Amino acid sequence: MKIFIHGGVPGVTPYASGPHIWGDQDGEKVTLAGGTVEAMTDSVRKVIKGKCHLVGHDLGGLIAFNLAIEAPQLVSGVTAVASVAVAPTGDGVPDVTFAHPPKPLFGRESQRWALERVSYSHHHIDDALLDACVAAAARRPVVSYADEFVPSLVKAKSRFYEVCRGEGVKVPCQVIWGSHDPLSTFDHGLWLFRGLAQKQRVSQFHVINRAGALPFREEPAAFRQVLESFADAL
Amino acid sequence: MAKLPEGRWIDVDGLRTRYHEAGKGEPVVFLYGGNFGTGDSASSAYTWNNQIAPLSERCRAIVFDKAGQGETDNPKDDDYTMAAVVRHASAFLRAMKLEGVHLVGHSRGGYAATRVALENHDRVKSLTVVNSGTLSPGVGTNEVVLARPPYPAGTRECVRWVYQNYSFNPDVVTDEWVDAVMHTLSLPKYQESVRKMGAEKLGTKLFLPELAREKRETLQWINEGRLQRPVQVVWGFDDRTAVIDRGVELYNMFSRHERRALFHVINQSGHFPFREHPERFNALMRRWLESLA
Repeated sequence: MKIFIHGGVPGVTPYASGPHIWGDQDGEKVTLAGGTVEAMTDSVRKVIKGKCHLVGHDLGGLIAFNLAIEAPQLVSGVTAVASVAVAPTGDGVPDVTFAHPPKPLFGRESQRWALERVSYSHHHIDDALLDACVAAAARRPVVSYADEFVPSLVKAKSRFYEVCRGEGVKVPCQVIWGSHDPLSTFDHGLWLFRGLAQKQRVSQFHVINRAGALPFREEPAAFRQVLESFADAL
Repeated sequence: MAKLPEGRWIDVDGLRTRYHEAGKGEPVVFLYGGNFGTGDSASSAYTWNNQIAPLSERCRAIVFDKAGQGETDNPKDDDYTMAAVVRHASAFLRAMKLEGVHLVGHSRGGYAATRVALENHDRVKSLTVVNSGTLSPGVGTNEVVLARPPYPAGTRECVRWVYQNYSFNPDVVTDEWVDAVMHTLSLPKYQESVRKMGAEKLGTKLFLPELAREKRETLQWINEGRLQRPVQVVWGFDDRTAVIDRGVELYNMFSRHERRALFHVINQSGHFPFREHPERFNALMRRWLESLA
């Protein structure tokens, strides 16, 4: 059983993510709820019925790791995809990928613009995706980004790396990155993998070529191939 | 440990060549690493024993002994060069009438497999390169990690020491693996290659300088996009002889020109990820073959 956890912060990330972002990937796709990483983690925990493989994109990857740390008995494995939210950043420079978005924000053209910015190629951006993004944007809850969300993210990330350094994440893990992710290089993904690899024997890192921050949309077959081969050997 | 199928023989351009095969379907040809004439280690078809039978359920899995290695005859006319190894490997594909081949090469075999692919597009369908310091650009660290083994060359202790230093988990070097290496080392024709490469100095006078020249050309060809086939690079994360950065650089070279280019890193694995984690490696191979069927 696979559970797909989307990323993106509602009302903040310029494209409106949600279950729709996974396209036709096979498994249960959850909707995040809440304004903090803890609350979002709880919202996913509620839908877990039995032991499952958690597949998280961006922030969803951090939430998947959170659950693997808190409740390893519920998690058979974690796949973190383009998880810029959990990858090390250090003293980076501002990312300008989403600078100067067209107005109105969260409108259809704004969604197209943002999705093109995070993609290697625009071909996966169709009407169905734009409709779903616009609908998701209209439903977006209010998130107190600076006061609540960011502190919760920093806390969760610190805990994650503390666990990596200490007892380790107790379930098999893999990290998948797009070769042309504009939000963070695949070297960031490799460093996330290095963190996991310190203590978790069954951990892998994969790069999918000619894909940006949404490799499961741009190269769905290659993504499925990597995802399934990991599960095959669990 | 999976057993290799019974070996067979075929004449390949005048060299009596040993190979093992199992299964039906698209041919997958495995090339192991190392080269003839090394006295402290010796690869053979056994290197891939955990792949041939398990993957034969999905494909026609074939491993052959390269020129001068394992049971196969030494190169003719003292041609102890990588070019001779590549020519022999290409001739093996022709002699076996193999087409649509998925090549899988490890270490020096990764170089040979890539060169075979670059020279035989009509016969090659995909390429998998595993921990190949020989092929990848950057600093090779074999001589740092494996300098002067503390045991006499050709002894079991020396062989075990070498392969344990290649590996993340020393326990992966079983008696069976050491037995296979010792068998190759004991063959008179192999001892002749040791003499040629060492005492007669063909290693330093011929093999290494020629390999360096050909490697430059091979990397140029890759950078020019001449491979023209799907490729995946698989790397053991903890390889101290071909460090991960070299795998990244090699992948970047391939992926610049080929959409179907994947990079896989397997944790807690040294130079031989397919021996340290055969179940993980074989799962990657099965899905790779499925994706290209």
